[in-house]
Amino acid sequence: MSPDSSLPGTAGALARENEALRQQLQEAEDLIAAIRTGTIDALAVQGADGPRIFTLEGADQTYRTLIEQMNEGALLLGQDATILYCNACLAGLLAAPLHTLMGFSFNRFVPAEAEAYWAELMAAGWAGKSRGEMILRDEDGRLRPFALALNVLSFGDARMVAVIATDVSAHREISAIRAQVAEQNAQLERQQEALRAQAQAVAETSRILEGLPHIAWTASPEGKPSYLNLSWYNYTGQSTTVHFEKNSTLSYLHPDDLPEVMRRWRECLGSGRDAEVESRIRDAQGNYRWMLGRIRPSHNEVGELVQWIGTYTDIHEHKLALDRIDQAQRELRENNQQLTRVNIDLDNFIYTASHDLRAPITNIEGLLDTLRQELPEDHRPAEVTSVLEMMQDSVDRFKRTIGYLTDISKLQKENTLPNGPVNLQPVIEDVCQDLQPLIRAVGGRLSVAIEACPTVYFAEKNLRSVVYNLLSNAFKYHAPDRPCQVSIRCRPAASGYTALEVQDNGLGLNMSGEQKLFGMFQRLHDHVEGSGIGLYMVKKMVENAGGRIEVNSQLHQGSTFTVFLPAPAGGAAPAVLPG
Amino acid sequence: MPKLPCVLLADDDSITNYLNQRLLTRLGVAGELSVALNGEQALAMLRDYFGRHPTGGPVLVLLDVKMPVMGGLRFLDALEQLPQAEAVVTVILTTSLHPQDTAQLREHRIAGFLSKPLTAEKMQDLLSTHFPQ
Repeated sequence: MSPDSSLPGTAGALARENEALRQQLQEAEDLIAAIRTGTIDALAVQGADGPRIFTLEGADQTYRTLIEQMNEGALLLGQDATILYCNACLAGLLAAPLHTLMGFSFNRFVPAEAEAYWAELMAAGWAGKSRGEMILRDEDGRLRPFALALNVLSFGDARMVAVIATDVSAHREISAIRAQVAEQNAQLERQQEALRAQAQAVAETSRILEGLPHIAWTASPEGKPSYLNLSWYNYTGQSTTVHFEKNSTLSYLHPDDLPEVMRRWRECLGSGRDAEVESRIRDAQGNYRWMLGRIRPSHNEVGELVQWIGTYTDIHEHKLALDRIDQAQRELRENNQQLTRVNIDLDNFIYTASHDLRAPITNIEGLLDTLRQELPEDHRPAEVTSVLEMMQDSVDRFKRTIGYLTDISKLQKENTLPNGPVNLQPVIEDVCQDLQPLIRAVGGRLSVAIEACPTVYFAEKNLRSVVYNLLSNAFKYHAPDRPCQVSIRCRPAASGYTALEVQDNGLGLNMSGEQKLFGMFQRLHDHVEGSGIGLYMVKKMVENAGGRIEVNSQLHQGSTFTVFLPAPAGGAAPAVLPG
Repeated sequence: MPKLPCVLLADDDSITNYLNQRLLTRLGVAGELSVALNGEQALAMLRDYFGRHPTGGPVLVLLDVKMPVMGGLRFLDALEQLPQAEAVVTVILTTSLHPQDTAQLREHRIAGFLSKPLTAEKMQDLLSTHFPQ
């Protein structure tokens, strides 16, 4: 609307015009006041000559109602952000009465931190359209998020920005719910992914297990069976259509083994650890065969239990073989016990024999003596005297044999003779004293080298017997064609043993007879007097003390007998304290 | 050599008995010489002897250990029940002895051990040790 541009008129006309303008101004002022007080709605339009305000009386009633009733805040802003119009909803959203809004700047609702953004939004709005979200501070100071849609409008040549303000607090809540939903959906997706992975693991495992020559199965982490390979169905003859029915597989286990298998399986499920258990499983022919069952947990890359994998390996033959070995060992033990009993019986027999034979031979000797008394020498036929002598010889030999038997049976009783540290030197000297006649007779020489080991751990009585037997043999079985040289040595040997060695340059032995050498009543040289009991006794005494005897000999060269005696338990022999 | 009123040979081996009887007779040490083949017979003979000679003694018993019916150990048990047990001197005459048997015998009132065969020397020693006059 432009001012009247008619040609200049009369003063009266000018006065009328002036009056009309005054009237117009008054109306405008009234209108503004009315608008300000909220009495009526108005539209203020920025014109070239300043803002022009239009009431909305004349505007299309339908649009007006729509804008007034709508649930979005609507406003028109002038160039300097003056609110030219706003609806009741906006007033409500900003907690400000309408009359404090229209004609005032919108900027007072823009908090400082949003000013820059708002300026940008406005600039874009003036350029055409813009849209954004920002916080506004309402009249009570509360901050609220708004979605703002800016749109430049032209009313004639007047331009203004129409703003639709939507409260998005509610949207925010919905967004929160949406986020939650999205999160739950994502979780579901992850679970499904895990299930898919599990299914895939089962599928992959199955593919691997299918070709295995062993029975194999898988189960879920909770223990629910998920797969059995072909070997199972082939072995049991179970129909492949019967899948994991309750106890359908368990019924193939031997009833005696089932409780233990189940116990171990429950243990696995509880602990997450693997297990091995042996059980018998029935095959298609109804025979039970021993199987080694292995249960292993299978984990994914982050260590979670994905499934259980199990196998059954046929160990039937192996198990039976083990049973046979067990049986054989049992029999061996029984045999050993029996042999031990036989040995004890034999020992008892030797004792009894030596005892019981002594009585009759003593009687025979007594009777022989009686006969001699009854047949005085001068009354005897010549033949009788030599017969009596031969009888006496036989009796003497019989008595000697009994004597040896007695020695052996004594040796058995003396098994428990206590071992202790014994000085070798005096024992050797003592034995040499006893053997002096023999040594002299054969012209023998003895060299002694015991400095390395002057003390051995043995029963003194037995040590004397060992030294006596070895030395007397060494001299007895000398080679008559060369000077008899015997040496006795003692030295530490491996594993804490002490080696006592007697070496001679005598007749020597054929080593194939070693077994006989240490046998009871074995004599290898008939031309030399001997009981055949000495080496047997030596071997027995040494072995009873936990030692052993070895012989090294060459026929016509000489022999070396080495006795290995164990060191005392708990180290060296205790030193004898003076005083 | 002192003469004993009564000597009793208790042995199941009759040849041993024969030889010992012969020896003791030759030595002439026994007033009365009896032979028993087991402990029971020996006990009966002791009762008979003390029945005839209530204050008689001492009696020397040469006792074998292993005998049927009643062995040496059971004889010694029974002997302790006799009122005249104090008047009996028992010497064990045996071949070789198991240490276990020796220990059991030592729990009884015995004068000593002799190993077979019995000889004049052993007899002489026995008399001078247990029957000094």
